[in-house]
Amino acid sequence: MKQQTVCHVNDMQPGELRETELGRISIVVCKTPDGEFYAFTNKCIHQGGPLSKGKLCGAPQSDNPGEYTFCQDGEILRCPWHGREFNVKDDGRMLANPKHKLPSFPVKIEDDYVIVYK
Amino acid sequence: MSNNNQPPKKRIIDVDIHESATYKDLFKYLENPYRRYIEDANWIQEKHMPYTQPSVAGVNRADAVVPDGRPAGSDLPFMQEQLLDDIGHEYGILTGALDPSPSSMHGWYEMATALASAYNDWQIENWLEKDERLYGSVHINAEDRDGAIREIERVGSHPKMVQILLPIDDKMWGDPYYHPIYGAAQKHDLMIGMHHNEPPIYFGKWPRYFIEWHSLLPTSHMMQVTNMIFNGVFEKFPKLKLMMIEGGFTFVPHLMWKLDQQYNDLRHEVPWIKRKPSEIMKEHVRFCTQPSEELNKKDFLSVIDQMGSDEMICFATDYPHWDFDSPHRSLPSLDPDLKKKIFSENARAFYPKLK
Repeated sequence: MKQQTVCHVNDMQPGELRETELGRISIVVCKTPDGEFYAFTNKCIHQGGPLSKGKLCGAPQSDNPGEYTFCQDGEILRCPWHGREFNVKDDGRMLANPKHKLPSFPVKIEDDYVIVYK
Repeated sequence: MSNNNQPPKKRIIDVDIHESATYKDLFKYLENPYRRYIEDANWIQEKHMPYTQPSVAGVNRADAVVPDGRPAGSDLPFMQEQLLDDIGHEYGILTGALDPSPSSMHGWYEMATALASAYNDWQIENWLEKDERLYGSVHINAEDRDGAIREIERVGSHPKMVQILLPIDDKMWGDPYYHPIYGAAQKHDLMIGMHHNEPPIYFGKWPRYFIEWHSLLPTSHMMQVTNMIFNGVFEKFPKLKLMMIEGGFTFVPHLMWKLDQQYNDLRHEVPWIKRKPSEIMKEHVRFCTQPSEELNKKDFLSVIDQMGSDEMICFATDYPHWDFDSPHRSLPSLDPDLKKKIFSENARAFYPKLK
């Protein structure tokens, strides 16, 4: 099992992204506002944009034209290039097309350190 | 000249790269009183789009902001590191960032013409003469036709200026008003480059949402190509060619079929046109791949097949904008000959100044 210690759990703020390496794979680590950590491949599945340079933001939702509700603040990973939105709480699924998702990596917390592995 | 000691990793001629200037950058090249008008009032250009912006860093890739915080596209070494050296460009053609744009000066023609001259001098000194891979576009104030022609005469013969960028304004490009500009372009082996300017419709209105505006970019390209062809521009200026930048290419077969059918029915109105419009397009007009729809190989080849030519599209990244197309990922896997044409040879054949 390959694993990589990323940081202390308090080194990252909720809503923050951090880039790390797992062997030769670049990984983006996300800390959501509830303090949970998630890790995904750091290349967008569309054209390979570096997700760690994007934003952990929210998602406007609506069922009626012209009305907006802002949801899931801090849980949506948005690509720095074409802006594709991935739900980190839903296994990295793409909002516009949930058939697609980011490859994800397990995260464990040991002695208050964040560790990604595969 | 520097930074081209390594052979290109990938033979790419990228026909749409946005360098970016602030007004402060232009001061050195701007005569008074024009410089003082900006400096004394600390004038910052208004933003034109009625939207927030599409992506996580405005219209730019979030990772293209210069590390010291300056705007994306404003620093040659960073552009070399992130684009030219990284991808291994053979050539890149600069297309400006439309801001500061001479076309945005509305009726203050003399100010707009002065800004265009300052911009061209800034571009030549800071980009074209500092990296041998970079070629440029002549910026003009097309609303001051005589001033525009003077500017083309002044910088158009620079060996690294390959095209003139025209703004979309209240006249379409086939209008006889522009013809003397085309004469000057032809004289200096300059092509005409069309980069969409703000509203994609020439009467200047915006749709409600950015997603509509961005989806409709090809419509402005369709209008200008149609207008230039039927106004006989390419009959009058047989060496003139048109590069349609940032409108994509999948609409091209439709436009070819439509114009040919219209010509069959309505030729009597434009008797100066002696060839099928699709033939004029094949000879005189080129389109960029960017922004690319997500096509698989079969669909991509089907569009090429419907165009009846594999020489009409050229590769563009649109760096550093948010809808940048990666040379590695935006197009499907293609056969080597076709790939070579799209990534470099079609552009090389199009711009006579590219060696």
